[in-house]
Amino acid sequence: MATIHDEIDSWLAADIHGELSEDERSALHAHIVDCAACRKAHQENKVMNKMLEETLAQEKPDPAFEQRMLSGFRNRIPERSGLVKLLVDLMRLRAVQITAVTAILVGLVQMGRMITGENATPLRDRERYAQVEVAAPQPPESRPGQAGALARSGGVAAGRPQDLALEAPPAAPATRSKFHEEGKAAGTTVAPAKAAQPEARDVETLVVPENAAMGEEATQSPVESPAAALANRKLIRNATVELEIVSFDDAVQKITAFANEERGYVATTSSEKQANGKLKGEIVVKVLPENLDHFLQKLRGIGQLKNQTLGTEDVTKAYFDTDARLKNARVMEQRLIDMLKTKTGKVSDLLQVEKELGRVREEIEKMQGELKYWDSQVQFARVTISLAEKHMEEPASFLLKEHAQLALYASDVEKIYNEAKVLASPKVQITNAQLDRDYSGRVSARVSMLIAPEESETLISRVKGFGRVENFQSQTERIAQGGSGMSQNAKTKRDKVELNVTISREEQEQAFQQTSLRIRTSAVDEKAKELRSLTEKQNGRVRSSTFSRDPDGHEVANVSLRVPMKNYSALMQSLNALGRVEDVSVQRQDRIGGQIDEASAPADISIQVYSQGNIVSSDTGLVATLRRTLAQSAAAIMWSLRMIGVAVAFLAPWAIAVIFVVWIAKRIARARQ
Amino acid sequence: MDPNEREQYRAAIHGERDAFEMIIRTHSRALFAIAYGILQNREEAEDAVQDALVKAWKTRWRVHDPEKFPVWLATIARHRAHDIFRKRRTVPLSATIDEAIEPNSAAGTDAPELDQQLHSALAALPELHRAALTLRYFEEMDYRSIENILGLSNGALRGILGRALASMRKQLRPALASLD
Repeated sequence: MATIHDEIDSWLAADIHGELSEDERSALHAHIVDCAACRKAHQENKVMNKMLEETLAQEKPDPAFEQRMLSGFRNRIPERSGLVKLLVDLMRLRAVQITAVTAILVGLVQMGRMITGENATPLRDRERYAQVEVAAPQPPESRPGQAGALARSGGVAAGRPQDLALEAPPAAPATRSKFHEEGKAAGTTVAPAKAAQPEARDVETLVVPENAAMGEEATQSPVESPAAALANRKLIRNATVELEIVSFDDAVQKITAFANEERGYVATTSSEKQANGKLKGEIVVKVLPENLDHFLQKLRGIGQLKNQTLGTEDVTKAYFDTDARLKNARVMEQRLIDMLKTKTGKVSDLLQVEKELGRVREEIEKMQGELKYWDSQVQFARVTISLAEKHMEEPASFLLKEHAQLALYASDVEKIYNEAKVLASPKVQITNAQLDRDYSGRVSARVSMLIAPEESETLISRVKGFGRVENFQSQTERIAQGGSGMSQNAKTKRDKVELNVTISREEQEQAFQQTSLRIRTSAVDEKAKELRSLTEKQNGRVRSSTFSRDPDGHEVANVSLRVPMKNYSALMQSLNALGRVEDVSVQRQDRIGGQIDEASAPADISIQVYSQGNIVSSDTGLVATLRRTLAQSAAAIMWSLRMIGVAVAFLAPWAIAVIFVVWIAKRIARARQ
Repeated sequence: MDPNEREQYRAAIHGERDAFEMIIRTHSRALFAIAYGILQNREEAEDAVQDALVKAWKTRWRVHDPEKFPVWLATIARHRAHDIFRKRRTVPLSATIDEAIEPNSAAGTDAPELDQQLHSALAALPELHRAALTLRYFEEMDYRSIENILGLSNGALRGILGRALASMRKQLRPALASLD
């Protein structure tokens, strides 16, 4: 009871408030009966409880309190309406939240990619690596098998290949027996594939020690061991070998000897002689399958191995299928013969039986033939050896081909053209001749000819004499025949020379030198005429001439003429007689590389003959100056106006945009208020 | 906690107005009791509750655990009441003194005297004790609910109320004796 007495306050409070359990209350009351102090406290508490109830009851909120609270709340926080509420409701959904977060994340990632300029390829790369990693462990898986096979046939590496047939890998018999069951039951085609796989692996493992022992190139195709040529398997083995040898005949002899050593024979040989005297050919050798590898080894000693393939075709299933069918057909045949022997039934039936018998026998023969063929194929391995002597590609001869191009200028194109055509003879063949004349009177001709090599030089120099040579190009080509590359023995021949001649009129020729000058004189017209006669005298031609006179008495004559270079200086001398020569400028175009005849090359001279005329302009004096000044100032005003216009046009859109933005901002601000 | 109640708090936190209004209906009296415990003035307590409700609605997203919602609500109401209490202090003393003295001097009878004494005894109590008392006497809430809303541990209320009543008893002993 001591605890109750110590904590009497809380016990009393709980008692008053009806929070005591039945047991507790009886315990408390028992104590109160005993303890006077606690009893007094209990009495006082009861009175105070009543007082509190009465007093605080007045302070309790009235019944409308909740309603007041609610309406106050509603007033202060008005309910959202329409779209906002819908949006808020929508955002409350977990799915929408997740979607939004995902969209934001994806957007950020994309933005990051755009910023860093990275694209999606690295991801794909990683995928590829993953695939490689997945694929990589596969070789180690097969390696133990190989190692095992190596261990099993540990003695094989040094031993002769024949021993391998006896020391067949343990895995083979199991697969073989399984295969036989399935083969006889005419099972699925999966069986051979299954059987072939372990075998192929065995073969591979056996190749390794052989190659290692001999130190051959690793890239050589694997040499198959005769381990596969098991008694019960029908394997057709074929090999093709490509060799480069020094002498074809020697090689054939050696191969025949090897074939005999390996108890084989040469089935066919064929050879072919090339234009450059080199031989190439093909030899087919049949050897016993178990000796095939040995034979191939020997072949390598003959020459350089270029290519080698070795194939094995497994016909076991087909062979035994045919075998089984043959047996069935034999049984059938026997039964039909029995039927004929008993000779019962109608004649037509007997005929039917005989017909059937014939069909069966035919089938039997066909199958027997098939089996025999396979037997022969299986009995011997076929090796096809392609032989080629070294330097097969050496050319047989060389041909020198010469192409020449000649460009000529002539005053009379047509005449030259006809002269060139006449050149045709047994040694000179004109392949193409063409004369072009266009509407403006421009004439050009083209002649192509083939010239016998011994005639070519004389003929080309003759053609050069027809006109002025503008350009001559000659090109010699050496063509290898019957091969490529270089050869010491090949002969060199000269082929026909091909010559293309282009003939153009002199007028079209570009001037070698161009001169322009001015001549001041008083009588322009007269002097211009004089100039023309001077030109004629110097073997030149006036190409164009103009004359003009303006109201001021200013006369100008433009004369352009062409003279041969050799007469150029003489003409220039004589010009001084006409008047004062001014502003002489000479422009010369040196043609590089061309063999040109400089003396007769054309020189163009353009001359302006002019008179002084009136010196004083009418555009002088006070009025004119005033007029000019006014015009200039008006122009300046117009220019500034234009500049103002440009400035306004430039600024106006910006000003409008700024005003618009400010107006909207003001509207928004007002709406907020 | 009742799953329905919990769901209601959760909905209110997620901004469902109906749920929140239902909570106003069920909880505002308790909040009033708490606020009154601090302020001992009905109008002010009502204002405090009203403000607390509005503030609670605006900051409802701060509550992560729906279970804590009632306690959080009570805390807001208490803070709000404290704010009001502090502001009241700045009101010129003379007015309140006049008001306070007048009924005192006017009261000639015993009953108002006792009432006055009771009030001053209440005022002398710690705030938590007063809140517990008001919750108990206004709403007749059982101890468990009071502990819940005040965030007290289980069974603590018994001692608090015991101490509150005992201290009031001591203060009022002369008056009580005269009453007997």
